[in-house]
Amino acid sequence: MQQNLRKKLKTQLFRILKMIKKEFRLIKIDPWNLLIALLIPPGIILLFAFMTEEAGDPAPLPVIVVSNDSNTFINPNNYTSSTWDNYTIPYLKAVNKSNLLDLKGYYNSTNEPYSMEMARQELLIGNINTIIVIPIEFTELLQLGYPGIIECIIDSSRVSKIQDNINAVYDSIQIFVRDNNLSPQFELKVFEKFSVPSNYNLGLNANFIKLLPLMVFGIANVLTILVIVKENPISRLLLTPVKKSEILLSKYITYSAVLLVQDLGIISAALASGLYIRGSIFELFGAIYIIGYSGISMGLFISSLSKSKTEANQLFFASFIIIILLSGLFVPLGSMPIYLNLFAQILPLSHANPLVNSVLSKGNSIFEYHFYVLLFVSLALNIITFLVFYKRRYEV
Amino acid sequence: MKNKSPKNLVVNVKNLEVFFKKKQIINNVSFQVYKGEIIGLFGISGAGKTTIIRVLTCQIKKKHWKGIVTVTNITPGKKQNNSKILEKIGYVPQLELLNLYYDLSPLVNVEIFASNYGIKKDNALKIARDLFKILDIPEDTWNNPLKNLSGGEKKRVSMAIGLIHKPSVLFLDEPTTGVDANKRYDILNYLKKLNRKLGTTMFIITHDLEAALVCDKTAILREGKLLEFDTPYKLISSLASDGQLVRFTIENLDEKIIKKIKQYPLCKDISRTGNNVIEVFIQDLEQNYSNLIEYIINNNIKIISMSRDIANFRRYFQLRIKEEEEKEFKEK
Repeated sequence: MQQNLRKKLKTQLFRILKMIKKEFRLIKIDPWNLLIALLIPPGIILLFAFMTEEAGDPAPLPVIVVSNDSNTFINPNNYTSSTWDNYTIPYLKAVNKSNLLDLKGYYNSTNEPYSMEMARQELLIGNINTIIVIPIEFTELLQLGYPGIIECIIDSSRVSKIQDNINAVYDSIQIFVRDNNLSPQFELKVFEKFSVPSNYNLGLNANFIKLLPLMVFGIANVLTILVIVKENPISRLLLTPVKKSEILLSKYITYSAVLLVQDLGIISAALASGLYIRGSIFELFGAIYIIGYSGISMGLFISSLSKSKTEANQLFFASFIIIILLSGLFVPLGSMPIYLNLFAQILPLSHANPLVNSVLSKGNSIFEYHFYVLLFVSLALNIITFLVFYKRRYEV
Repeated sequence: MKNKSPKNLVVNVKNLEVFFKKKQIINNVSFQVYKGEIIGLFGISGAGKTTIIRVLTCQIKKKHWKGIVTVTNITPGKKQNNSKILEKIGYVPQLELLNLYYDLSPLVNVEIFASNYGIKKDNALKIARDLFKILDIPEDTWNNPLKNLSGGEKKRVSMAIGLIHKPSVLFLDEPTTGVDANKRYDILNYLKKLNRKLGTTMFIITHDLEAALVCDKTAILREGKLLEFDTPYKLISSLASDGQLVRFTIENLDEKIIKKIKQYPLCKDISRTGNNVIEVFIQDLEQNYSNLIEYIINNNIKIISMSRDIANFRRYFQLRIKEEEEKEFKEK
């Protein structure tokens, strides 16, 4: 019994390996397709390595305000004079009034000693773009007529947003000064968080985050949308002992292997062009891989669903446009109506961009929300593809 | 004569009925096929030839058919049984374009299909070379993309793929379709040659009635019913005068003349086979041959030439289908 099972498994494995070999042969027939997959992504990265600008994002920018105004713990020598915080609430009102800022939270360090740590955590996971810090003795200084100082810690992983953030915080200061009849002399102290060291390619880092997910997902999609629909002899293969699951599995394995080579090319080209990776290179590799895999899953799903090459192409364009438009690249997910936002949450590209940013710029682990969503979406597509392929009628 | 012992029974079909959405496609079909036989399935489009083959090759789910069917002593339907049957049968489809990897060479195509039977590359290539030699596929084409081969060569590569795992039964769907007229006989001869050398049982589904030349038995199907299943010789012999006919070339042949000859009391059937040519079947040809000629001359019909012959399968097929149509018409 056990021997029979072992023999059966051995035969199945032999067939799958041979099917994989067949897939590679079919890929070899169309070398252009393979070249597009392997050369274009690193090529584009090299091309974009010379770009320094990143397209801007719309406001308002999410912020957290941390007030040290009445904090006696920070400066114990001055505790007698740092007990007032009369201007904290007026400043918060100014932040609220500003159209450029979206106040996500407020911590008073007098009540919460770990305010800064909590705010930094929010910055790390990408919930906010900036921490606005009201410094110690803020009220006292203003009452004495000294120039006011506001500090802000900006997420610099997205280069274009640095200036946007400074402008937005400055807007809140202007409102604050106007509403409270204060001296216009105000100073904004900016500290950059997650910025790219000067000896790396700042422009590439900025563009890599936006460009790469779209490119990897799109190319994986293009590579696989015709794989099932154009393979006519499948119907005859099914008149041999080979199973539908073995045919499909061999396709997933083959194109996943192509993806590995593609990712190696991308990482090599990016490193050669001066990409700064704050996190682990392996985790970045993993992030790119899961994005590519979601592209393969989508491509094979389209291919299994389509009855002809034309239908597959049409389906690809229709789905790709929707995925791009709802990815958050053009319209922030938060600005979408709730039903569109919910729909966008199940689309792969909506998670690809934040995942790469998180691993590349902030050094976070790959194993976070966006990775699991991408994995879940890919596996769900795989299951549906198997079901569709299983139900698909093949006749010789 | 093939050995008809039960252990040599390769395909057994008894009371087969196939339904699709309450429509009956096959109606009570029964036949038996023994090892090494070549069976021709003939019938006009929609007769049910392909449906029967699809049942035998596990392409139709069990819920759509009933009756007793065994292929190499295994009943199709269950998944496990289907896998076992698929290991023992070969299939040569009608259209190579849809069933072969045109951009790959014949040897690579063979390797791909052979691997599904667990045949390793070296062994597959050895068998393929032997089959290619039997089928006269030029050696210089073995490693070229299949798309560069002629239609006949592609068909032969397809046949070789069907035979790569030495199946007990080979199913061929329209093997002569799409092949030049002069190559049709070559294909049929190759099938006979393979049958003799390998002893493979073959099922040929075809519209090409000439294929009966290589068949041990022929099945004639019409609207899902099996009209006949026997050797071509026996079927032809069942015609009037054991299938013997008289062929006349008649001056100014028209429908009136044909009608007149049909009125000859012992005439069984007339077929117009050319502009001025008719073939006449009469009862007891030996005895009534001269009477027929006399009848024609007495009716002022001018005979240019005449000859005696034996009907071929084409003529039998036409007469049998016509008979069935007339029967059906009368019943209606």
